[in-house]
Amino acid sequence: MELGTFGAILRSALDLESRAAAFYRAGARGDLEELFRRLAEGSEKRTKELERARREGVAEMILESISGLEADSYAVVLDPAADEEKRIEQGARFEEAAARFYRDAGAKMPIREIVRLFERLAKENGLRRERLTG
Amino acid sequence: MAETLRNYIGGKWTVSDSKRVLDVQNPATGEAIARVPLSTAGEVRSAVAAAKAAFPAWRETPPLVRARYMFRLKALLEEHFEDLARTVTAEHGKIIDEARGEVRRAIENVEVAAGVPSLMMGYNAEDIAVGIDEDCVFQPIGVFACVAPFNFPAMVPFWFLPYAVACGDTYVVKPSEVCPMSQSRLFELLDAADLPPGVVNLVNGDKEAVDALLADPDVAGVSFVGSTPVGRYIHATAAAHGKRAQCQAGAKNALVVMPDAVIDRTVAAILTSAYGTAGQRCLAGSLVVAVGDVYEPLKAELVKAASRIKVGDGLDESTQMGPVVSKKSLDRILSYIEKGLAEGARLLLDGRKVKVEGYPKGYFVGPTLFDRVRPEMTIAREEIFGPVLGIVRVDTFDEAVATIEALPYGNAASLFTSSGKWAREFRYRVPCGNVGINVGIAAPIASFPFAGMKDSFFGDLHGQGRDAIQFFTDRKVVITRWF
Repeated sequence: MELGTFGAILRSALDLESRAAAFYRAGARGDLEELFRRLAEGSEKRTKELERARREGVAEMILESISGLEADSYAVVLDPAADEEKRIEQGARFEEAAARFYRDAGAKMPIREIVRLFERLAKENGLRRERLTG
Repeated sequence: MAETLRNYIGGKWTVSDSKRVLDVQNPATGEAIARVPLSTAGEVRSAVAAAKAAFPAWRETPPLVRARYMFRLKALLEEHFEDLARTVTAEHGKIIDEARGEVRRAIENVEVAAGVPSLMMGYNAEDIAVGIDEDCVFQPIGVFACVAPFNFPAMVPFWFLPYAVACGDTYVVKPSEVCPMSQSRLFELLDAADLPPGVVNLVNGDKEAVDALLADPDVAGVSFVGSTPVGRYIHATAAAHGKRAQCQAGAKNALVVMPDAVIDRTVAAILTSAYGTAGQRCLAGSLVVAVGDVYEPLKAELVKAASRIKVGDGLDESTQMGPVVSKKSLDRILSYIEKGLAEGARLLLDGRKVKVEGYPKGYFVGPTLFDRVRPEMTIAREEIFGPVLGIVRVDTFDEAVATIEALPYGNAASLFTSSGKWAREFRYRVPCGNVGINVGIAAPIASFPFAGMKDSFFGDLHGQGRDAIQFFTDRKVVITRWF
């Protein structure tokens, strides 16, 4: 699906965070309990930041159509029931895709505050990935 | 059964006695989502009486305290932001991003009005004669009212209400009977903000309610946004009853494109201007004036980009253009398309053919684009208030300005160019209140007046910003000498 509006991109970002939170919550067990719980909390906090950005960033004058961004390009399968190794692998792949999404979408956003937020979220995704794989 | 909306009078929600009730429809589905009473003149009188009774104590409330109500209201608006935006989309049809933008603009006005302790400060001079000083103070006046349009059901009353209330006046809102739900939701928040009873009041209704407000001797002034014939009527009637009036009316906004314009950015801005909110904005561009050689490449790009716009239910985030507000609007827009064809314009993109799967009863018309439009044609002169854009070809910048000058309206105009010289000429010469340079929707933010000239505005002081403070206050001059 093409993400052709400001709202569609923010919706997609919120969906990413909500999927991440659900995956890390459900997968928080065994040796990964603490790490996954923290990652889930991080996603919940990011959701609040994105909601605030959507509320405050929208400006009628620059609600122009956006092109060249496909939601499917960032899809990653997440299965919290998988074994520990698979969960880490999926989490790392997800964080990588999310970072790519925020970088690509940020480049198309006409609102500076949202560009800055997306850049920060992309950086955080890199750090989250390192925590999973490091 | 859809809920029947209530009035809010004297701090209480009241059921209207009126036997006249209309359905409020979701224009994407055609379903009735609420019922709105068309209140009686007696109910309007009750609202004005409540506002009048609340005025003496409210005007004595310190501006700092009144500002705190604005802060409280802002917090409530932020908390209920998404719900408000969804209500706007449900009753109006605009896409959810546009509805969010509308609610944001309403909040911005609350934020600016919260500056009332500074905005209402007067001025003084010592020794205007030996030992005599002179002061000018701003004083609230009494009861004000707003007659609101359907196209920005949440935002437009907030061009006025926050300023009036912050200045110490009391207020009555008469929402559009086509889209009255957003104001009901907003009044729930005003109620939660715990303003003293009678400071703000809501009366649903139609012309009967408007006429009652205009004739009521206790109403000091009226703010209106809507069509030119109604704006002219309200201005004249209010003036005849000795009231202040500010009436924002219709528009025919031209978007002039010079040969040196940055085409891809210009096309994106034109599309948002012409087809955003399905063209139902008083700032919508509805006439592209292409100067010289830019005509052919611009036309080609507009067709290509406009044909890609996704039309659908505004609540679907992927939708780029929603339905128009009602069957009546749809029929009017279709009749303008017929008129354009009959007068010899060429249809490059026909919005009549649009079908939205799963929404057989929605009031959809797709992006429509005409070329070979001449300035004397009906579609080049009249406000269509729908997603219909016409392209006029002229040879020079002067001809483009003359095209705008010949229009009866003066709401907005935009120029797309890379030349500072043309930009300066344009902003200097065009007789329009809101001018955009490489901006397709020249929408003033809350601290600036929402301007307008010619048949687009009747009155002198506009909504928003410092104009609003002046509209809702009287200047009193005090000259003092002590013996």
